[in-house]
Amino acid sequence: MNPAIAIVFTGGSLTIGVYLATVLDSFFAARVARSHEHAGQLLLEPLRNVALFVSQRRTVTERPDRGAWALAPALLTALAAVAFIAVPLSPDLAVADIPVGIVLFGAALVQVMVAVFLHGWSPNSLFSMIGGYRFAALALSMGIPFSLVLITTAIPAESLSVGVIIESQAHLWNVLRQPLGLPIYLLTALGFAFWGPFSHPDATDLAGGTQGETSGAALLTWRTARAAILVSAAAMGSAAFLGGSLGPWIPDWAWSSLKTVLLLAAMIWAGHRMARPRMENVVKLGWLLLLPLALVDVFVSGALALWTP
Amino acid sequence: MDTVIDAIFWVFAASAVVTAVLVFVADSMVRAAYWLMASFVAVGGILVILNAQFLGLILILMMAGEMTIMAIFMVMFMMNPAGLNPMLMVHQHRTAILSGVVSFLALATVGLVAEFPNLPAPAASSPIVPLGQELLGRSMLIFESAGVALLAVMIGAIALVSQRGRYGDAEQGSLEPALEPGTNE
Repeated sequence: MNPAIAIVFTGGSLTIGVYLATVLDSFFAARVARSHEHAGQLLLEPLRNVALFVSQRRTVTERPDRGAWALAPALLTALAAVAFIAVPLSPDLAVADIPVGIVLFGAALVQVMVAVFLHGWSPNSLFSMIGGYRFAALALSMGIPFSLVLITTAIPAESLSVGVIIESQAHLWNVLRQPLGLPIYLLTALGFAFWGPFSHPDATDLAGGTQGETSGAALLTWRTARAAILVSAAAMGSAAFLGGSLGPWIPDWAWSSLKTVLLLAAMIWAGHRMARPRMENVVKLGWLLLLPLALVDVFVSGALALWTP
Repeated sequence: MDTVIDAIFWVFAASAVVTAVLVFVADSMVRAAYWLMASFVAVGGILVILNAQFLGLILILMMAGEMTIMAIFMVMFMMNPAGLNPMLMVHQHRTAILSGVVSFLALATVGLVAEFPNLPAPAASSPIVPLGQELLGRSMLIFESAGVALLAVMIGAIALVSQRGRYGDAEQGSLEPALEPGTNE
């Protein structure tokens, strides 16, 4: 794909994805609370919020690390974009379907730890810094099960290329072949986007956490980037577990977009239905439950690959 | 195309060196750790240009977590409140300068004197399969021993930093106090 087209395509897809994520978030928040919101209000609310953030003043703290503070939201946006380009929406709409695409996606998501830690640390402020440290604990607990279930989808495909992983699901989607994979993936992806039950780094109990000292356009960028991480994770989830662009009747890019939106809605809905646990219980969940289950996923898939012709 | 790749190589090479210098100029453990990571990311970029995409990306992937963990451990060992206070990042100047100059000269000599083989890799070759066979074949014992040794070091480091817990010294059991005063043994 031509680089200029690739940039417009990635930016455009992520913008649509983030807008959808924001609308879905308000929609499910209203549904869970059993309140009735007008469709027009739901659709316009994200745009109003953008206008509000852009017109807001920027706050400054005492002796912040200005460079790192400015870098963090931009870095998070860039990482969401890098993660997104690793997923081919269709064989023709592939920006970076490289032979090690799944590693590119993983590398981008692990670097999220750097962006969030710097965002919390750089304002030189207590609560936001605790938020940064919380994300280190959160990402380390979620990161290993996340990478394990994702890399397991490469076993039946015998390739680290996302395109080949999609092709390998022509007869059976990985969601059925590796039943442990998708639930663990979605739960840990919520952790990487510090969303819903895993919003500890930016939580209200920390007065906003890492975003507590940020305002204006920087805060808008930060929140947009966080939703973009969720969108990229949903796109990879659809490619790795739901067969991505595979499907009859409608064009292949429509199938992968549909599956991405479906996973995005599932994650956002689940985020509203689950309460935020204490941080130590999140660490226990990651290391004592999700990691052993992810290892079972790896070993069972490996054994199946060895024993079936 | 070659000039573009050359230009990208020099951008990565220059940023690797500049960020590596900044590791020692930085006045905080968090900044030093992340400048070091930036240097590794630039080296990872060079590896990707060299058609070692897997190695380059794995380097970038591993370093993000490792540098964060390193910064947190340094903060825990140094008793610098949360790593927010500025501090001097260089110590033992004479030894450090001497060993730095000696190792630079040694590496530069190797770089200038050694005859490097000129073996361009075929464009379609994928280094992943030979790499996997090397890691799980001939070199498995070395890598697995290194892995177990590193795990032991990590457990030891955690044991050292968690000596004093929330409820007192580890030797005293670090027990949570009872709800009723005086009922703790």
